[in-house]
Amino acid sequence: MSQTARRGSSAVLEPTIFELGVPGHPGHALPRLDVPRLEPQDLFDADDVRDEPPALPEVSEPEVVRHFTRLAELNHHVDRAIYPLGSCTMKYNPKVNEELASLLGFTGLHPDIEDADCQGAIELLVELSNHLSELSGMAAVTLQPPAGASGELTGMLIARAWHTAQGDPRTKVVVPDSAHGTNPASLTLAGYDAVETASGDDGRIDVDAFREVVDDSTAAVMITNPNTLGIFESRIAEIIAIAHEHGALVYLDGANLNACMGIVRPGDVGFDIMHFNLHKTFSAPHGGGGPGSGPVGVRAGLEPYLPTPVPSHDASRPAGLKYFMDRDRPESIGAVHGYYGNFLVMVKAYAYILSNGGDGLRRVSEDAVLNANYLKAKLAPYFDVSHDGVCQHEFVLSASRPKALGARALDIAKRLLDHGIHAPTVYFPLIVSEALMIEPTETESRRSLDSFVEAMRSIAEEIEDDAEALHRAPECTPVGRLDESKAAKELDVVWENGD
Amino acid sequence: MLREIGVERFDDLLEGVPEELRSTRSLDIPGPLSEEEVSRRLTELAARNRPRGVLLSFAGGGVYDHHVPAAVRAITSMPQFYTAYTPYQAEVSQGTLQSIYEFQTMIARLTGLDVANASLYDGATAAAEAALMGLGITRGQRVLVPSTVAPSVRRVLRTYLTSSAAELIEVPSVDGRVDAGALEKTVQEKDVVILQHPNAFGLLEPTADVGAAVEKRGGLLIASVDPLSLAVLKPPSEYGSAISVGEGQSLGLAQAYGGPLLGFLATTRKHVRRMPGRIIGATVDSQGRRGYVMTLQTREQHIRRAKATSNICTNQGLMALAAAVHMSLLGKHGFRETAVHVASRARYAADAITAHDGLSLRFDGSFFREFVVETPIPAAVVRSELRGAGICPGIDCGAIHPTLDRCLLVSVTERHTKDDIDQLAAALGAMVSERGSS
Repeated sequence: MSQTARRGSSAVLEPTIFELGVPGHPGHALPRLDVPRLEPQDLFDADDVRDEPPALPEVSEPEVVRHFTRLAELNHHVDRAIYPLGSCTMKYNPKVNEELASLLGFTGLHPDIEDADCQGAIELLVELSNHLSELSGMAAVTLQPPAGASGELTGMLIARAWHTAQGDPRTKVVVPDSAHGTNPASLTLAGYDAVETASGDDGRIDVDAFREVVDDSTAAVMITNPNTLGIFESRIAEIIAIAHEHGALVYLDGANLNACMGIVRPGDVGFDIMHFNLHKTFSAPHGGGGPGSGPVGVRAGLEPYLPTPVPSHDASRPAGLKYFMDRDRPESIGAVHGYYGNFLVMVKAYAYILSNGGDGLRRVSEDAVLNANYLKAKLAPYFDVSHDGVCQHEFVLSASRPKALGARALDIAKRLLDHGIHAPTVYFPLIVSEALMIEPTETESRRSLDSFVEAMRSIAEEIEDDAEALHRAPECTPVGRLDESKAAKELDVVWENGD
Repeated sequence: MLREIGVERFDDLLEGVPEELRSTRSLDIPGPLSEEEVSRRLTELAARNRPRGVLLSFAGGGVYDHHVPAAVRAITSMPQFYTAYTPYQAEVSQGTLQSIYEFQTMIARLTGLDVANASLYDGATAAAEAALMGLGITRGQRVLVPSTVAPSVRRVLRTYLTSSAAELIEVPSVDGRVDAGALEKTVQEKDVVILQHPNAFGLLEPTADVGAAVEKRGGLLIASVDPLSLAVLKPPSEYGSAISVGEGQSLGLAQAYGGPLLGFLATTRKHVRRMPGRIIGATVDSQGRRGYVMTLQTREQHIRRAKATSNICTNQGLMALAAAVHMSLLGKHGFRETAVHVASRARYAADAITAHDGLSLRFDGSFFREFVVETPIPAAVVRSELRGAGICPGIDCGAIHPTLDRCLLVSVTERHTKDDIDQLAAALGAMVSERGSS
């Protein structure tokens, strides 16, 4: 980012790739064609043939590489500095995992080859599922959902299949008002109605209010624990018991599992279904918005409903065939991905789990909790914390006081960017006004945490002096604050100039 | 640090976690392993697979063994791209945002449609999302799916529609292609129709007839397309497709045992607000400079919650970047050349294989990159026996339809040389003639 920051007045940071190059560039060279060349008109009916190939860029390799490298320089990223985006668990991604996920034995595998030709891949899937089972206390785990939201949908469809099998399909799912937006969206996609339950003053689910909304039409309850305020739902056992009394299943949104590894196992607590985010807790990189991976764990009795196929192991099979894809699952909810999910993400998560081991994973969570509490304590003099007391892996600040002075949460977020730090999640959870949700993760050093505190301290000072000045933020980033309403009103989502 | 927090022991930070819920034993997970040890373990697992290069594979059906130019991986390996999150803070995410905007543009140009989104999980989930989007547009209750649509797509579609009121109706096929006449009789106003072109058997579908039938009846047509085929085949916009989806793996992604893949979705300007997933749009900054943001976010789960157009949040951002780099490297000319090479090699392969007695093409009709070979031997047996020779001859079509269990779907790319193809043809020919004489 350094070269382009403060670049100044140029109207465009980087032209689109469509504006580069010259017409007629041959593009990437292909292997010699050693069979007879046939043109489309030789092979297809004239009606099927496209007149003109799509207008892709016509640029040389150096131009392509420079274009995307210049674009890369405009990004903030974990390898550069702290990325305390709450609920996103932006931890460092160990380099060895990238190297291992690029082994040809993994990247060069077609998903439809014989099981005998991918024994290592299936073994990895089976082992990863087993490790996630051990970690969570769930009886079985599917790795197929390609992201957390897909895991939620999978979990809700499992709940639906189970209730249907009991002869009582049910209609609604209860979610706390602090839930991630994907929860209500996923349960709706699974055909349920969302019913909200309120949080109490302590930031936890209000158990009395909860008792009121759960009834015999409740199929499931979706809970995030620790919740999105970073607070452990200490009455979770009671909440689960209430749900179970009504025959409802309890789903854990595992987005915040980074606080719990080795400390609490959701299966032991009584959760029936949960999802994991391999791209959060298990260090697989986020890729600028994916690929993710959202495995789902279920308690004993729900395994028959897991998506098919199920990577399996049978020691009684002959050598070289002990691992196989079990496709004979008549009660399965079906498939939620074309194949087996985001396999290479699983390779990275598996390497991460082995690198840490059981005790190491507990240490990860302890350090995540320690870092969050340290940051919370150090920031408390400058900003209001949503809830007092200890937090787990994240916490929420409220910028209500700064807002009264003229600087909103968004302004604080944008000013942080000027300090070379990524902003926290803002305006979420919805139950805290002017929320700034901060999750440092365990991979930040004390020095790095202190630099964040220092940036926040100087922003607090600036708010006292001249809150209005924050409206100009960010001022040191490649571009200034962007006009989002213009983007929505004058929709420009494809490059059309020069066609 | 504990002192700064104001507690004495780490356990004090767990005060909110009831004692009785805490684990009392260590996790039974092996490790910790050093970098050397974990590398040894993973390398050993990788060695128990037979990837391309070890196995001469003609498996396709949506995932293909194309050459990926080195520059694609060089770009997607830059930490600026792969260690960034979803571009929530646009001012420090212009690299991700602009590259996805360029990806959207390329997908729009491929499909001939006006707009595209920032990606979905894969081609199968993209088709399912498109079906739900289509039902939202027509307010219909029926999704018509020909039996020539890939089984992976049909499976996911069934799952996504489990809980909706919509009915999934199979449309019959004739000689491996959708029966356009039967379709015209079946389709009603507000129906959503999914057409895969080229289809699960590699064949070109009668797109003009299907498009006309759907339009005449007032349905909505979704085309599921192979992006590489769009270098030489008519884009979906020209046969009346309102939404077009597909699997983008052939645009610079590894086969990767089927994931991560890349779903794409394009539509007309009219329907842009009904699209699922992220959309990147251009705008200006406080000083009038061009910049990019995530736009139309009021469709999405983090704003609209239960009323969102989809539940998708994390998508396949890095794969969209790979596709944008790949398409830029190939360029307009190279992209078409790749398609021509693939189609030429496919035709050569079909001729070479069927030159042997006992092997024939199951279906007439033109194909782009893959075709169905009928053998006198069950495909499962052929596949299992050719393993010894280090060949995967293609996909067992019994998985597409049980009556096709003696058929193989054979796919080629620009990487399969004449020698590779001749080797497959000879192996299949030898096997069939051996069986014939015994």
